[in-house]
Amino acid sequence: MNYGPIIFLGVFLTIASSWIGLVLIPQVQFGRQQEVKIEETGEIYPTVRPGLAQQGMEIYKANGCIYCHSQQVRPEGYGADIARNWGQRRTVSRDYLHDNPVMLGTMRTGPDLSNIGVRQTSVLWHLQHLYNPQITSKGSIMPPFRFLFEKRKAGDKPSPDALALPKEFAPEPGSEIVPKPEARALVQYLLSLKANAPLPEAR
Amino acid sequence: MSATSPSILQALSPSDTEDVAQRRALLAEIDASCRGTLMLFFGAALVWLLIGTVFALIASWKMHSPDFLADIPWLTFGRVRPAHLNAVVFGFASEAAIAVTLWLICRLCRAPLMHGWVVNIAGVFWNIGVAIGIGGILAGHSTAIEWLEIPGYATPLLFVSYALIAIWGIITFRFRREKHLYVSQWYLLAALFWFPWLYSAAQILLIMEPVRGVVQATVNWWFAHNVLGLWFTPIGIGAIYYFIPKVLGIPVYKYSLSVIGFWSLALFYNWNGMHHLVGGPLPAWLITVSIVASVMMTIPVVTVGLNHHFTMWGSFHKLKDSPVLRFMVFGGMSYTVTSLHGVLLALRSVSEVTHFTHSTIAHAHQGMYAFFTMVMFGAIYYIVPRIIQVEWPSARLISIHFWASAIGIMLYIVPLIIGGTLQGVAMINPDVPFLDPNKYSVVTMTVPYLRVRSVSGFIILVGHLAFATSFIWIVARWIKAARQHQPTPIVSNV
Amino acid sequence: MTVVWILFVSSVIVLPAAALLALRWAVRHGEFKNLQKTALSIFDEEEPVGRMTDRFPGPQRSSKSSQP
Ligand code: HEC
Repeated sequence: MNYGPIIFLGVFLTIASSWIGLVLIPQVQFGRQQEVKIEETGEIYPTVRPGLAQQGMEIYKANGCIYCHSQQVRPEGYGADIARNWGQRRTVSRDYLHDNPVMLGTMRTGPDLSNIGVRQTSVLWHLQHLYNPQITSKGSIMPPFRFLFEKRKAGDKPSPDALALPKEFAPEPGSEIVPKPEARALVQYLLSLKANAPLPEAR
Repeated sequence: MSATSPSILQALSPSDTEDVAQRRALLAEIDASCRGTLMLFFGAALVWLLIGTVFALIASWKMHSPDFLADIPWLTFGRVRPAHLNAVVFGFASEAAIAVTLWLICRLCRAPLMHGWVVNIAGVFWNIGVAIGIGGILAGHSTAIEWLEIPGYATPLLFVSYALIAIWGIITFRFRREKHLYVSQWYLLAALFWFPWLYSAAQILLIMEPVRGVVQATVNWWFAHNVLGLWFTPIGIGAIYYFIPKVLGIPVYKYSLSVIGFWSLALFYNWNGMHHLVGGPLPAWLITVSIVASVMMTIPVVTVGLNHHFTMWGSFHKLKDSPVLRFMVFGGMSYTVTSLHGVLLALRSVSEVTHFTHSTIAHAHQGMYAFFTMVMFGAIYYIVPRIIQVEWPSARLISIHFWASAIGIMLYIVPLIIGGTLQGVAMINPDVPFLDPNKYSVVTMTVPYLRVRSVSGFIILVGHLAFATSFIWIVARWIKAARQHQPTPIVSNV
Repeated sequence: MTVVWILFVSSVIVLPAAALLALRWAVRHGEFKNLQKTALSIFDEEEPVGRMTDRFPGPQRSSKSSQP
């Protein structure tokens, strides 16, 4: 094998083959997928996220939540995703139609978040958890995201947006912890994560 | 045997015959033509290696002690981790790979690198691109697409620099004086060609004009797995194919096997990526195709392994004498082990357990470090003294580097594969709680293994510091020698 | 859509066909003959077969003590 062009040709053909197979064909198969009307509820699924949740997704991207959390539910009988209540059904391609980027994830240092908006609906819980995971989940190795909050001097009475914290996590008297807009947006994003619409193809 | 082998500098002493003198002059000319460019790339690679190692340690420490440096936004785990990956992949590994590739192409073509300054400029811009990219990730501009986190404003710089470098490699190839195409050259040229295709396709389809929905995931893993398989792996294998025979002075065991190994790699590897998505929201055929291709990878792995290990057979005592050989053989063996392990991990039943666990991380380091990085270290130890004509100052530092890297990475991989597998076994068992501070739970059971990983990181850091010391020292000697002498007379201007 | 399919189907035919033709060409032109000879192309009189080209720097350490 001493003839350069023939090697180049082979090298070209092999990568072209996988490009067609793994990139082009999936695009042909899924590139035009559309929303559907759910029969049971009459709603269109999936919907585009509202603006605040969309901003929250940027915070999720920026802080690398994807390196510890997946967003995909494997089918019944394959892994324990459904048994762990991470979803009622497997996730399918249509669930991700409006996600950009699609953050399926490859790591589950923490639980899957495809349905966190179904499982955990309390804004307070999420804010406390982000402020310091030990408040809600003792022993967690999730990092605290205190930089999404700010410490302020408290007035005579606590301001309405101050975060309620258990004693051992509360700041010194006279100051209070207030979530920054980023934290609120992130929580809205988490609450928007729901892959539970009864899609026919996911049954 | 080795007692008769001359030192590198002795090898450059006056010769007996006309022909040998001519060849020697040519070799020296080739090495001299690469000198500045290669030292630039190796030096920058080393800086990224150290930066990447520090990021790695911070990230690793944070995983078991989440309060460590927790209040600095740009050092949060989810930013340091991709910063680490991009520093070592695009900073260290790619630059080392480019330098080694250029040198091997020049040597094997018996042609000097022409107008090296073009590559130098490309190298400078590449480094600026990586620096901007990593700064962007730390500032929170990550794209959150694994292996492609570098924000879109830095990637065109990377792509253009890379294109220049690849074109230069291919131009050098066009001016070759050696009619034989050695097996390493197939791999190197293929890698030079594959990488820009992968990178540009992924950039366009994911960042500039993103495709919709799960197709993003297929493009992502087609790219990310192929960066390993079609960029680093061929360069690593190509380097081993050159260095083991060259250092030993023994030709490759069965050259015909290398033909099979090369084409089967080219054919099967690039279909592998979807095994990262087993069980995911993608059509079954796509994943099945990738699993089949992953299993087919046994063919190139076994043929290449046979060739490397049988060339080495009977020469293992020489490992004592040659630092290059140590790194290369460690890398070659790791390649065989990693790849066979990878085949296992791609199987549906194994993936059910190990997917989403630390065992994947351990596997990635087995490939990128125990195989590829070790091979690059070996190559650097071989190339640098030849291009600057200064010997490595300290055998002890090289030994420290080798042992720290070898022990460190084994201490990283083995416990983490075990820990990750146990983590997976716990995760698919719904009776084990996900987190319970007082019981055996998925989160808490991993912590001891994560601690061991941090320890291994420190050992690896020691190795890298020894390497850096060697490198700075040899450069200092080189500068000193250049001040004292006129340019070495052997370097003729043919 | 149909354009993509036409492209796809034709490429499924064209790619393997090109590969087969290239393979036939290569075999006929002796690309796979005398392979073992190329294995020697990395050696020359300067660095011949049988000579190691790398060892630890500095005075001969282990090799002297352990080699016969
Ligand atoms: C170092 C890994 C790590 C990172 C990074 C991380 N998490 Fe977590 N996360 C965990 C772990 C471990 C748990 C489980 C224990 C707990 O609830 O804290 C968890 C739990 C959660 C939960 C609760 C899930 C449930 O089912 O109760 C949410 C919500 C969450 N994380 C959101 C986030 C967000 C948002 C980010 C990014 C800003 C993030 N995580 C980053 C590790 C991580």
